[in-house]
Amino acid sequence: MSAAVSPAGPRSAPAVRRIYGLGSLFGKTMRDSRRAILLVGGILALILVGVSQAIVNQFATPASREELEAVIAAVPPILQGLAGPVVNVGTLGGYMSYKYGTFFPLVASLWSILALSGTLAGEARRGSLEFVAAEPLSRRRVALEKLLGHLVAVGIATLLVFLALLAAGNAATLPGDEIPVGAAAGYAIWLALMALAAGGLAFALAQFFGRGAAVGIAGAVMFGGFILNGYRTAIPPLEPFANLTWFGWTANHIPLVGRFDWPSVVLAGLVAFAFLAIGVEAFVRRDLGATSAIPTPSLPRALVGLHGPAGRTFGNLLPSALAWGLGIGVFGLMIAGSGQQFVDQLVSAPDFRRLLQTVFPNIDVAAVGGFLQLAFTEFGLILAGLAAATLVGAWASDETTGRLEFLLATPLSRRRWVTAGGVGVLAGLVVATVLTAIGIALGATISGDTMATPVVGALVLLLYGGALAGVGVAIAGVFGSRFAAPAVAIITIVTWFLDTLVPALGLPDAARELALTAHYGLPMLGQWDAAGIIVSVGLAVAGVAIGRWGFQRRDLRS
Amino acid sequence: MDPVIRTEGLTKTYGSHRGITDVDLAIEPGEAFGFLGPNGAGKTTTIRTLLDHIRPTAGRAFVFGIETTIDPVAIHRRIGYLPGEFTLYDKLTGGQTIEYFANLRGGVDAGYQRQLMDRLDVDPSRKFREYSKGNKQKIGLVVALQHRPDLLILDEPTSGLDPLVQQTFYEVIRETKAEGRTIFLSSHILSEVEKTCDRVAIIREGRLVKVDRVEALRDLAHHQVELRFAGDVPVAAFSGLDGVSEVTTEDHLLRLRLVGSITPLVREASKYELVDFVSREPSLEETFLAQYGRGAVEAAAR
Repeated sequence: MSAAVSPAGPRSAPAVRRIYGLGSLFGKTMRDSRRAILLVGGILALILVGVSQAIVNQFATPASREELEAVIAAVPPILQGLAGPVVNVGTLGGYMSYKYGTFFPLVASLWSILALSGTLAGEARRGSLEFVAAEPLSRRRVALEKLLGHLVAVGIATLLVFLALLAAGNAATLPGDEIPVGAAAGYAIWLALMALAAGGLAFALAQFFGRGAAVGIAGAVMFGGFILNGYRTAIPPLEPFANLTWFGWTANHIPLVGRFDWPSVVLAGLVAFAFLAIGVEAFVRRDLGATSAIPTPSLPRALVGLHGPAGRTFGNLLPSALAWGLGIGVFGLMIAGSGQQFVDQLVSAPDFRRLLQTVFPNIDVAAVGGFLQLAFTEFGLILAGLAAATLVGAWASDETTGRLEFLLATPLSRRRWVTAGGVGVLAGLVVATVLTAIGIALGATISGDTMATPVVGALVLLLYGGALAGVGVAIAGVFGSRFAAPAVAIITIVTWFLDTLVPALGLPDAARELALTAHYGLPMLGQWDAAGIIVSVGLAVAGVAIGRWGFQRRDLRS
Repeated sequence: MDPVIRTEGLTKTYGSHRGITDVDLAIEPGEAFGFLGPNGAGKTTTIRTLLDHIRPTAGRAFVFGIETTIDPVAIHRRIGYLPGEFTLYDKLTGGQTIEYFANLRGGVDAGYQRQLMDRLDVDPSRKFREYSKGNKQKIGLVVALQHRPDLLILDEPTSGLDPLVQQTFYEVIRETKAEGRTIFLSSHILSEVEKTCDRVAIIREGRLVKVDRVEALRDLAHHQVELRFAGDVPVAAFSGLDGVSEVTTEDHLLRLRLVGSITPLVREASKYELVDFVSREPSLEETFLAQYGRGAVEAAAR
């Protein structure tokens, strides 16, 4: 017997809403991903188009391309660590691969890690998954729909990259600059799979250990792979470790210069698929939201910070500060530790040494400090900015989680809470900077060079981080805590763009001058620019003062 | 003696959204004051304004005679507060959380703190994130009570507590009151306010509808009764009973509203052959709508 369907019976959501909107889990995932797709795909595509235009215009003749190729070829491997492979860099595709080829997967992977670690584990933590899982949908379907949503989002973002590469190739004028469809597709597919390998790892881990641990481990694996692969040529002992990572496997896949290594890309894809499958199966089989804590040492009681708001803020963000300090410190250790190899390679590359001396007349390139200035400072400052964003976010969570309702019902004034937050965040940055300085000191000792100057130079991270933290505290006080960390992260990225892309795009120097990072001088060589120091200290102090003022004048967000 | 809490035309709007409108309250020292209202009525908005967590759009609020926006810290020194929804430090244990808040205030009696933890059956050794909702609520209660505040402001305090702990909580509240301290308790549970409070204010759609002694609440409490008879409905036998009103019939079904004891009604019903007997206590929302319908709210607005 069949029942007639009543016209007033249950209705299914319109197809459009099921694809994009609140009509299905997939549609909602797509809807939730819209900004990330535009941000990641759009920015990467814009960089590709903008930089390719700059290259085509500034190196418009074959002779200028030969010069460019010669300059890059002269760069010792130790200095090329964070750049891509040096293959046909006189062509547009070759230069793109060298300059941004390995950096783009970092950005896309970071997105995938954050999205896939949060899609089930994050929802479980918030509690919304309890509702979703109570719907008449199997757990496998819940996981697969959400996963499919992210796969499509990554697909759209990489499609934008693919189109940008085709556009860049079409605008090129010199022979060899063309970017065929196959090459663009080869790069886009590789980019997507690199992102999904990292994201897949986070997805699988999140089912067992929760979102925070998954992000930490997957992020460390991703950055570790990136750095190991980057320095494998310069530091041969790293080679076996580099070969354990998907960055290492696919090192010979350089599609923009017509070099393909599809088996390695397929391997990366299989690993990504395996991680995702493990994640889905774990979600299906395990208790909903049940995670195991990875044992970590507890903080000594004195550092937990139970005696006052500044101490509590510091105790709350100390684990993050330690993680950032260790990460940047290890990076500093690697760079400073390979300083002697850099100097040795300079001896065997006199042309490059002369070139460096011409471009950076004030830098003693034969000193570890000079090498740190060239290879560490830029990336170190980005990391310091992101560390500041994380620490400001940890402080701001007092308000965003609702803790502040309790705290401000005690005799703790609003002004004191803001000041304590500023002090706590700065103390966290001091911890991160000290660990970085220790890493640099150890590295300099390994290189047999003087450690005092670069160790003091590490203070640039504290100055920059402190300035951004001040801005974050001001934004939290005036506009609301939830805006603070994203604002600091955006300022960090915009500053990096100004400092690095403005010269590359041939924009006026005045635009670069807007970047605070352009005003510190050469701290790793002991040459400080007073303007940067004054502005940084001023931003840190004024930021806290503005935060105190602003928070007096607004409602607490519930 | 000045009221502990006094509000004058207290109004809070969130852009175009209503918060509270023209709330006038006066709560005397030593009083246990219930603040009743359905979800979204404006209870939490009122409380957060009293704490200076949010600022009034119009009107003023005074706690201990101090205007809330002028010196909130002086007010906070003398209050204990339990928010309706909260989270605390995930990585601290319950014991550390309680200790931290004690340190923020200073001068907390460790013996009383310990006693509260024992009475509420708090396990201080677990991380806050590992607690169930009810256990988190217990930690919040200890934080709010441990310094023996002159004024306790509790927003839906028994949410998530098991019945045994609820009873302990009511005991603590009674002791607090016996010591002459003031309690401001927001709730949407009629019986909770009835058990603990002297006076009650009812708020609905952001406006105070009524402020009265708690005994008045008991007049609100009633049962909706439905009797299904096998034969004809003996309307006259029931409509004359004490406390019975709003009697309606439909075929063999008799519906009525009963205030007070149900015993006479049951005794009368036992004289007839019944198919079904349903007695239901209406929800607070239904009670409000029945007693203070939209008209009352609009009248209050005028």
